[in-house]
Amino acid sequence: MNNILILIILCAIVTFIPRLIPAIFVNKLDFGPKSTKFLNLLPYTALTALICPGVLTVDTQIWYVGLVGAIVAGTLSWKKVPLGAIVIITVIALIIFYTIIDILHII
Amino acid sequence: MERFYIKTKMDKFLYGVKKGFPIVFGYIPMGIGYSAIAIKAGLNPFETVGMSIFVYAGAGQIMAVSMLAQGATIINIVLTSFVINFRYFIMNTVVFNKVTESNTKLNILSSHFVVDECFALFSLMEESSIWTYLGVSVIPYLSWVLGAAIGVFVLNLLPVIVTNSFNISLYALFVAILIPNLKKSKTITITVIITGILNFILQYFLSNWSLIVATIIGAIIGTYIVDDKDLNLEVEKELLNKKKRGEDIYE
Repeated sequence: MNNILILIILCAIVTFIPRLIPAIFVNKLDFGPKSTKFLNLLPYTALTALICPGVLTVDTQIWYVGLVGAIVAGTLSWKKVPLGAIVIITVIALIIFYTIIDILHII
Repeated sequence: MERFYIKTKMDKFLYGVKKGFPIVFGYIPMGIGYSAIAIKAGLNPFETVGMSIFVYAGAGQIMAVSMLAQGATIINIVLTSFVINFRYFIMNTVVFNKVTESNTKLNILSSHFVVDECFALFSLMEESSIWTYLGVSVIPYLSWVLGAAIGVFVLNLLPVIVTNSFNISLYALFVAILIPNLKKSKTITITVIITGILNFILQYFLSNWSLIVATIIGAIIGTYIVDDKDLNLEVEKELLNKKKRGEDIYE
């Protein structure tokens, strides 16, 4: 079996078990207020750690491409544009951005 | 607004589908973006779609394949996935505390489908039937898998500029989920800034491990500085209290 298959199987197991336990033991789980708060903060800190500095590696050659995308998405989100539209507009913005870079390069 | 009178299981399921549908517009491009990174990291088309079916963790998957592309070890990737995806534990705890008309079998069947978006939708919804939850949660799942499948077929046909641009879609979604919460709360914003700086610095010392370490340290710091009322803890607290009151009755 190749490494990638092993990786997928292991990732599937470590992702599914935390999902499964509450489904079976839902009436037996109880968290203190501090642990609940910690677990609730994980999505925010995990998202942040994923964005910063990962977004700068969206394009491995031109680091600021990701930054431009993040600024576009952030601005749209600030203006309360719906989630799906933010993703689509940001992708289109980057296509335009790449095209502009290409044209400048040719000139 | 006219009130929809919900009767049958099917009605409840379709109500959930209707509520969950906007997630499709985020998940399909994001799924295509994931495919682009997965294929670059060396996964074949079956592995790419298979990972979406069996792991089903948006950010976790992107991170896993990105780490693979950067040459991280399997143990490192699996441990990071565990930490990043552990939030599904608390989400399912909340979901299954809220859910009605369910049993252990239905709980187990639906446990694989929890992600940030359907969790947020369902936990804030008045309707609490398991059938509604299945409707809300199955739509993002199908669109995530469909996105990955479309990505596998379409990536070779698209110009490089377009596929490169799809790489931003997940980050766009992350930013779009994060910003409204930062707008609401100064204390969460401070926590997020600390975490970002921490991860930026730590990556020079810990490389791929910095993600787990920064996530955990950031959340620990957050428990001391974030206001309880900023965290939407009310819904969960009320549910847990209800559960506790329920148990008291039986004791």
